Amino acid sequence: MHPLTPSKDPAPLTLPSPQGGEGGGESGYGWFPYALIAPAMLMLVVVALVPFLYTVYLSLHEIRHAQVGDWAGLANYRTLLANPRFWHSAGISLLFIAIAVPLEFGLGLGGALILNQGVRLRSIIIPVLFVPTMMAPVVVAILWKIMLAGSWGLLSYNVIERFGILTGTSVLASPSLALYALVLVDVWQWTPFMMLAFFAGLQSLPLTPYRAAAVDGASDLQAFRRLTLPLMAPLMAVIGLLRLIDAFKVFDTIFLLTGGGPGTATESTSLFVYKTVFDFWDLGPASATAVVIWIMFFAFANGFYQIARRKLGAF
Amino acid sequence: MSAKRRMWMSLLAIAMMAVVPGSAAAQGWSYKDAAKPYAGRSITILDEVTPLQENMRTLVPEFEKATGIKVDYQLLNHFEVISKGQADMLSGRGAYDAVMLHSPQMGLLLDAGVIRPIDDLLGNKALTNPGLDRADFIEPAADSLTKFRGKTYGFLNWNYNVVYWARGDLFGHAEEKTAFKKKYGYDLAPAKTLQQMRDIAEFFTRKKGEKLAGQTLDSDFYGIVMEGIKGGTTLWTVLNAFVKNFGGDIFDAEGKPTVNRPENVAAVKFWADLWKFSPPGQAEYSLIDVPTVMGNGIAAQTLAWSDFVLGIDQPGKSKLAGKFVYAGSPANAQGKKRSAETEPSGIVISKHSKQPEATYLFLQWMVDKSTQQILFDKSGGAGVPIRNSTWALPSVKQSKFAGLYVAMQESLKYGSAKPKAPKLFEVMDVLVGLVQEVGLGKKTADQAMKEGQEKVQAICAKCTL
Repeated sequence: MHPLTPSKDPAPLTLPSPQGGEGGGESGYGWFPYALIAPAMLMLVVVALVPFLYTVYLSLHEIRHAQVGDWAGLANYRTLLANPRFWHSAGISLLFIAIAVPLEFGLGLGGALILNQGVRLRSIIIPVLFVPTMMAPVVVAILWKIMLAGSWGLLSYNVIERFGILTGTSVLASPSLALYALVLVDVWQWTPFMMLAFFAGLQSLPLTPYRAAAVDGASDLQAFRRLTLPLMAPLMAVIGLLRLIDAFKVFDTIFLLTGGGPGTATESTSLFVYKTVFDFWDLGPASATAVVIWIMFFAFANGFYQIARRKLGAF
Repeated sequence: MSAKRRMWMSLLAIAMMAVVPGSAAAQGWSYKDAAKPYAGRSITILDEVTPLQENMRTLVPEFEKATGIKVDYQLLNHFEVISKGQADMLSGRGAYDAVMLHSPQMGLLLDAGVIRPIDDLLGNKALTNPGLDRADFIEPAADSLTKFRGKTYGFLNWNYNVVYWARGDLFGHAEEKTAFKKKYGYDLAPAKTLQQMRDIAEFFTRKKGEKLAGQTLDSDFYGIVMEGIKGGTTLWTVLNAFVKNFGGDIFDAEGKPTVNRPENVAAVKFWADLWKFSPPGQAEYSLIDVPTVMGNGIAAQTLAWSDFVLGIDQPGKSKLAGKFVYAGSPANAQGKKRSAETEPSGIVISKHSKQPEATYLFLQWMVDKSTQQILFDKSGGAGVPIRNSTWALPSVKQSKFAGLYVAMQESLKYGSAKPKAPKLFEVMDVLVGLVQEVGLGKKTADQAMKEGQEKVQAICAKCTL
């Protein structure tokens, strides 16, 4: 028998009776729904929209010593786009995402499928899986520094050096390897999260289609391809998008483990922005960077959203 | 006299000075009298957290008790002190009356005009302790940091410095001494020159299975370890402990970039050549990792910040505690001018402070001879002096770190504050990545310095104020 747990029939959603009558909008509930979402919207406006609009404002002005000066038009954007370091950091971020997220996705899904097979001690394994995800990035960075530090790191000494791999250098000090080490750290931290999210999704799939497929003689692989993947697609789209956004923002581990080096081998866009603001106090180009990144991500997320909504039925 | 007893006596002395006629009061001045117009006022001070500053915090109630001025003495980590303090001063928010500044910050903040000069306060006889003795501050640290265009900006507060640090047990080993003399023709001793440091690095670099001081090594041993991370103080050590000793610099007298001058290339090449005698992970070693590696006993020598040495050369912190030797940062055997990496840091009054007089009194008290004495006594003779008179304190002379203090004194003679360049952090960030790549063998010194010159010129055509 297929191990998937049948889902329960969802109880019908009960809403308060329409009270608004005429003029209450399409729902007929009047101001009530707006009142419910008002605190959240207000909070969103205060903590997200206002700072964002202020950032746009800053990006269009000359800023010297943190004092807003004259209107600068698109000068800060021109400075930014002409800066090879910005493009280099964008390339690093994209490479990081391109390797880390698919790995986390694949390993997470694989692990979730294994967990879903009724693995023994699941009640112990699942809480343990939460540990890397729950750790603060600073703790994760320190932990991996201890693991990968050249000459004395637990992993670098006992595994890499003892077996004669990578002698004469260290993983975090190697321009060609440091980024992959950071990917490894990210995969270590976030794969369990993906695994648990997918596992929760698998647990909620309806059993009936699998029973029908079994009656029709479908193999496990066919059931996975024809049923599991399509049914899980909306969840995968949401989790994938969230992870992409989060991976693009990675900062703490890079800052602590390599500082963007060696050279600029691991300088992500987040680190570039941080340095431009807090080290160089170049607030004009830094604001422009934030806006450009936002536009890029908005375009990407919106495209992803539209595709996921139309093709996968997500969102 | 025990350290504890000395501390109590010093505390008593400062309390007496504050309220009763004492050495300063003999000239009709006391903190109590000076603070009378400001009693009951509150000031907020931002300083960096290290064991030294934590000791300073414990003394603050003495000042409050004597003056009636309420002090909120906040300690934050290195990065936060820079970002939060700088943001507060530049934005004009004025949450802090005084902020601790590292010397690379001075250029930006002087350019922004947010540091309050203290010359008027220094000249105010009611406020200034006649026993302040500014001539006693260690030079060139104090003046290079606090003086600019004829004005004085704050006080020298902390006086970090890089010293030469080596394994005394290896240097004293008879077989090693003989072998070294045979190979290099002079006695094995703490390096006085960069060339000697290179010879020592080469001599002590050994592979696993080879002998070191009569013992068979069960892992590789390295002749030298240095800070190599992209960030921290890697670049400053390269510039001040190597480049300037080779006669180079990154700016000329007018402040224009001179990154690719031949002396700089030669010095960076010399520094990068030392990497072949260093542990493989050096490119990720920060100023904190270097002392740790020395404490772990896998390297023969280093250039390291002396205040970090204080945390390692202690029983229970390293199995080699008590076996280390120290010296001033080495000179260039062929060099005409000597230089050492030091980081004089200051405490300055924010232009936005609404309590400059009360703040000035507190800052003056922090750097006062008596307070400095108590600070050293309280920390068991472990600290970094800002005053010449501190070298003569019994707690310093009789300290187990007496050898380290001699080395500090030597380094401090040849170090000064960083150039006052508003874009210094950006310049540093470009150059540190390049020198690191030279160390890793990814670029030649010539390529890196040429690239550095182009990049620094793009940041600032005239970099210093």
